[in-house]
Amino acid sequence: MKRRHFIAFALALSSSVAASAFAQDADQPYKGTRLAVLMEGHPTTDGIQALLPEFTAATGIEVELEVVPESDITAKMLLEFSSGSGRYDVVQNNIIYIPGFLKAGYIAPLDELAGKFPADYDKADFVPGYLNTNIVDGKLYGLPVYGESTFLMYRKDLFEEYGIAPPKSFGEVTAAAKTIKEKSNGAVAGITMRGAQGIQNVYVWAGWLWGYGGEFITADGKSALGTDEAAASLDAFASVLRDYGPVGVANFGWEENRVLFQQGKAGMTMDATVNGAFNEDPSISSVVGKVGYVPVPVETDTLKGGSSSLAVHSLYISEASQNKEAAWLFASWATAKEQQIKSFALAPNSGVTSLAALNSEEFAKRYGAFKDAMLASINAGNPQYLPTVEAANEVINNAGIAVSKVLAGTASAKDALAEANAANDAALSR
Amino acid sequence: MPGSPGMAGLAGSGAMKDATTYFYRPIVLLFGSVSVILTVYVLWLTLHNISLLRPGQESFIGFDNYVRLLFDGRAINALGRTVLFTVAATVIEVALGLAISLLVDREFLGKRIVRGILLVPIVMTPVVVGLTWRFLLDPSNGMMNYLLSTIGLGPVDWLGNPNVALFSLLMADIWQWTPFVVLLTMASLESLPGDPQNAARVDGAREWQVLWFITLPALKRALMVVALIRAIDAVKAFDIFYIMTRGGPALSTETLNLYGYISAFTNFDISYSLTIALVLTILTNVALLLLYNLAFKAPKQGET
Repeated sequence: MKRRHFIAFALALSSSVAASAFAQDADQPYKGTRLAVLMEGHPTTDGIQALLPEFTAATGIEVELEVVPESDITAKMLLEFSSGSGRYDVVQNNIIYIPGFLKAGYIAPLDELAGKFPADYDKADFVPGYLNTNIVDGKLYGLPVYGESTFLMYRKDLFEEYGIAPPKSFGEVTAAAKTIKEKSNGAVAGITMRGAQGIQNVYVWAGWLWGYGGEFITADGKSALGTDEAAASLDAFASVLRDYGPVGVANFGWEENRVLFQQGKAGMTMDATVNGAFNEDPSISSVVGKVGYVPVPVETDTLKGGSSSLAVHSLYISEASQNKEAAWLFASWATAKEQQIKSFALAPNSGVTSLAALNSEEFAKRYGAFKDAMLASINAGNPQYLPTVEAANEVINNAGIAVSKVLAGTASAKDALAEANAANDAALSR
Repeated sequence: MPGSPGMAGLAGSGAMKDATTYFYRPIVLLFGSVSVILTVYVLWLTLHNISLLRPGQESFIGFDNYVRLLFDGRAINALGRTVLFTVAATVIEVALGLAISLLVDREFLGKRIVRGILLVPIVMTPVVVGLTWRFLLDPSNGMMNYLLSTIGLGPVDWLGNPNVALFSLLMADIWQWTPFVVLLTMASLESLPGDPQNAARVDGAREWQVLWFITLPALKRALMVVALIRAIDAVKAFDIFYIMTRGGPALSTETLNLYGYISAFTNFDISYSLTIALVLTILTNVALLLLYNLAFKAPKQGET
C-alpha cells in the first residue's frame, strides 16, 4: 500500500516535471522522467552503467539502475510483475523465460515504439540470430544486450606437447583429458567444467545431451530425459570430471571454473564464449595466447539440435510500465552500436549484439583469438539448447539435481535421470 | 529465584492487578491477532495452486499440496537434514560453549579482550561468514586444505563431496554461534552465588564433584534457554546454506527451509512453497514446545 502511494506520488511528480520541461525544451520531451531498470550483473551492464550519464544528458531521463545476480533476477521481476506494480519499466532476462512472460502478459510489444522513435534502433545492425529470438508471431518484444554461445577451450601448448589433436567427439575429449592428467602427473587437470547443482551444471551438460542425440523435451511436450542417449551423455560427462577433473569440481560455478582454467590448472574447459574474453585478458589470465577454441563436439550425426548454446539476454519493457516511451528510448540507446563499441574500453565484453561492434577493429584486436570459433558457434547455436517452456526453471533444476547426483556418485545416470524425468513430467503437466 | 507469584503478591490484588492488564493485554491481542491472521491467510493460500507464471489462473485445490508434500521424497529427505543439522548444531554448540565458559570463568588478565573477541563471529553477517568459509574450504586454494597438507593429509573436497558438505556447513555454524553460548553461560556463571561451591569444597568435595553436583544443576535452566534459542535459529538457518552450497551437491545440503525457497524462487510454485513453510513451522513449534516443557515444567531440582 505504502509503496503504491509512493509510486503514485512519484509518477505525479515526474509527470508534472516532465510537462513543465516539455514547455522549455522540445528536444527532451521526457526530461525528468525516472525509469527503474533491472539488469543482470554482467560486464555489459557495467559498460551501460558507466555510460548512463551520457543518456541522461541527452534525454533528461533519470535512470535508476538496479543490478542483481542473474540467478536471482527472474524471481525478483516475477514478484513485481505478478503484483502488477509497474515497479520496473525495463528488465533484462534470458530468452528462455519469454514464452512464460508472454503467456502471462508481463511484457509489451515494441513495434509501435520502434516506429515512433527509430533514432537509436537499427534493426539491420543486430546479429540476426540474436534479434530473431525476440520476435514472436511477427512482433518484436526485446532488444538483445548480449548474446553468447558455448565452445570448447583447450591449451594449445599442452596439446602440442603431448601430441593430441583438438577433439571433435566427446570420446576424444575423454581421451585427451586422460592423456593430459597422466602425462602431467596430475599437476594439470584434464578438463574442468561447472559441476554445481542447478543451472550451472545443466548449462554445460546440455551440450553433451544434445551432442549425444538427446533433448530435454519432446515435440509433444513430454520430458525426454529418460532416454538412453541422455543417460550415455550424463555418464560420459560425470566420469570425465570424476576421473580427470579438478578437486572440488562438484561445487564449481562459472567463476570457479573460469578462474581455474585461467590459472593454467586445466587442459580443457567447455563453457560460454564470454570466457574467451577472460582467457585473453593479460591482467587476469596466465594463459593468454595459449588457448585454442573449437566448437562443442558431437558424438553422433543424428542430432535433435545443435550442441552449442544460443543464449540471448535482452531488455524488455514491462506491460505495467507507466513510462513505455521513455523506457524504449533507454532500451534502444543501451543496445545501440555506439554504446556497444564504447563498452569495449569499459569492461571485458565479447557478447556484443551489434554487427558493427562485432566487425570493429577493436573487437579483432581484443578477441581475435576466438572470434571465428565464436561466430561459428553462434551460427550453429541451438535456440532450444535450454528448455524454453513455461516451467523451464523447474525442468532445469530437476536436471541439475540428476547431474549433481551422478557427479557425486550417489546415483547411476539411468536412475538419476529417471527420477528427473518423472519430476519434469509432473512439472510440465502441472 | 523470584517467580511470578512473588511479584503478584508484591503488587497486591484488586485494582493494581487490573491496571497492569491494560498495559500488556493490547500488545498480546495485537501480536496474537497478527499471527492468527497471517497463519489463516497462509493456510488459505496453500489450498490453491498459485504460480507466478500463471497470474489470474489460480484455483482452489483443497489439500492437494499437503498430499503432494507427504509423498515428496525430496521434502522428506530435506526434513531429515533439517533435524540432523538442528540437533547436531545445538548439542555441539551448547556442549562446546559450556566447556569454554567453564574454562574462562575466572579472573585473568585480558578477560575483557577475550569477551570482545568472542563477539566477533556473532556480529558478522551470515553472508560474510558463508563467503569466508567458502574461501577457507576451497579445495585447491583454501586455507583448510593447506593446513591439512602440512600434516600430510590429502585434499578434502569440503563442499563438493555429498558426504562431507553438510558437516562443513555445520562447522561454519558452530564457529559462528558457539561464542553466543559462551557469552550467555559466562553471564549466568558470574551471577551464581559462590557460597554453595565454597561450602562443598570445605566439606571435602573434589572439583569435578563441585562442578557436577552444584554448578551444572544451577546452570541447567540457563543452558536450556540457550539451547532453545540455538535450536530455533538452526531450524531457520538459511544464509550460509544459500551462500556456500545452495543445497548441492546432489541435494546433500538441502534443508526443508531451502527446499521451500527453491520451490518459491526457482520453480515459482508459491502455494507449494508456503505449504512446506507452514508444515515446517508446525513441526518446529511442536518440537520446541516439547523441549520447553522439558526445560520449565520438569521438577525443579536444580533450583537453589
